[in-house]
Amino acid sequence: MRYSFIQPRKKTVLTQEVKLLMAFFSMTIFMLLSTYLFLVYKDYRFIKNRENIVQKRYELDISISNSKKEIIYLNDEISLSQDIYKHNSVLKESITNLFDLIPSRITLSEALLLENGLVLYGITPNKDVYNFMLQAPLRSIFDKTYTSFYPADNGWIRFVSSNYIDVINMKEKKDEDDE
Amino acid sequence: MSSSISRPHIYLLILALFLLLFVLLFSFKILIPKGKEYRMLSSELKQERRKLRQYQDFNDAKLEIVKELQTENRIIIEAFDNNFNPKKFEKKYKEYFSQLKLSSEKKLADEKEFSVYEVNTTSQINSPKSFYNFLDAINKSDWMISINFPINFKREKEGISSSFTMKVYKIDKKSDKNSTKKKVILAE
Repeated sequence: MRYSFIQPRKKTVLTQEVKLLMAFFSMTIFMLLSTYLFLVYKDYRFIKNRENIVQKRYELDISISNSKKEIIYLNDEISLSQDIYKHNSVLKESITNLFDLIPSRITLSEALLLENGLVLYGITPNKDVYNFMLQAPLRSIFDKTYTSFYPADNGWIRFVSSNYIDVINMKEKKDEDDE
Repeated sequence: MSSSISRPHIYLLILALFLLLFVLLFSFKILIPKGKEYRMLSSELKQERRKLRQYQDFNDAKLEIVKELQTENRIIIEAFDNNFNPKKFEKKYKEYFSQLKLSSEKKLADEKEFSVYEVNTTSQINSPKSFYNFLDAINKSDWMISINFPINFKREKEGISSSFTMKVYKIDKKSDKNSTKKKVILAE
């Protein structure tokens, strides 16, 4: 005997409303989780990138310090080379000046250039020519001048002139040149 | 008094509340702190990148200076690098002397990172002018040479005999300069 005009429906927990609600929350949770995973991934990438940057900075630090050392070294080389070139040029000037200093009436047989002095061997017609024409300019350059004379075969006079600069004066002159 | 809300609706409400609570808790306890961390890390990374760029610029500037110095002073650097060769020297500077002979090399005390050798020479010149020309030429030499005292000129039957000492400067291989150079090249 039937008590209803319609067929009985099966009762289930998952009603239309529950399904709708579940779908809505599933989407929400999915979005939240994917945002979370995205953030986790990004944080991981950031940390990795930062590690790379720290490593690169360390390498750059080494490179910068090496470059600085290299610059100092090159500047040392350049400065030493300039000193050497200057020394050679000054030496050339000194030798030129020395030979210009010798008057035509005096003949040199030997010249010894020392760090702090000059020794000249030569022949002069007489002592006066030597004293006025060579010793006077030598005295103005050097602090100490010693000369010894002895007769030559042709009636002229041989001389040995030793001239020295005091070491302190020499250092002062060098400092002035450097300035 | 009976309730107007049916049992399925109560379940639905409980489920909705439970899910809402989950969403809120997840958001406030996990997602938002993570977001803040993300923002913090992002700004830190930006700062680190800026610093790195500054470092790179500074490094580039230093490398540029090294390169410029190396290019501008190539001859000087090569002169310091070259090994002194007495035979080659004699051959090259023979034109300034009618005779040129180099005696033994003697190692002097090192100056800074450079090894210094002393070479004695005996030579014969026709006039002092050729010695001046030699002094000019020595500044363009393949080696770093400084002419030193004592210098002796002696008049002889044929020309002037001269003797002088030379200081030859060379890079000291013991110094860590070469390893520095390699490192710089690697960093480039």
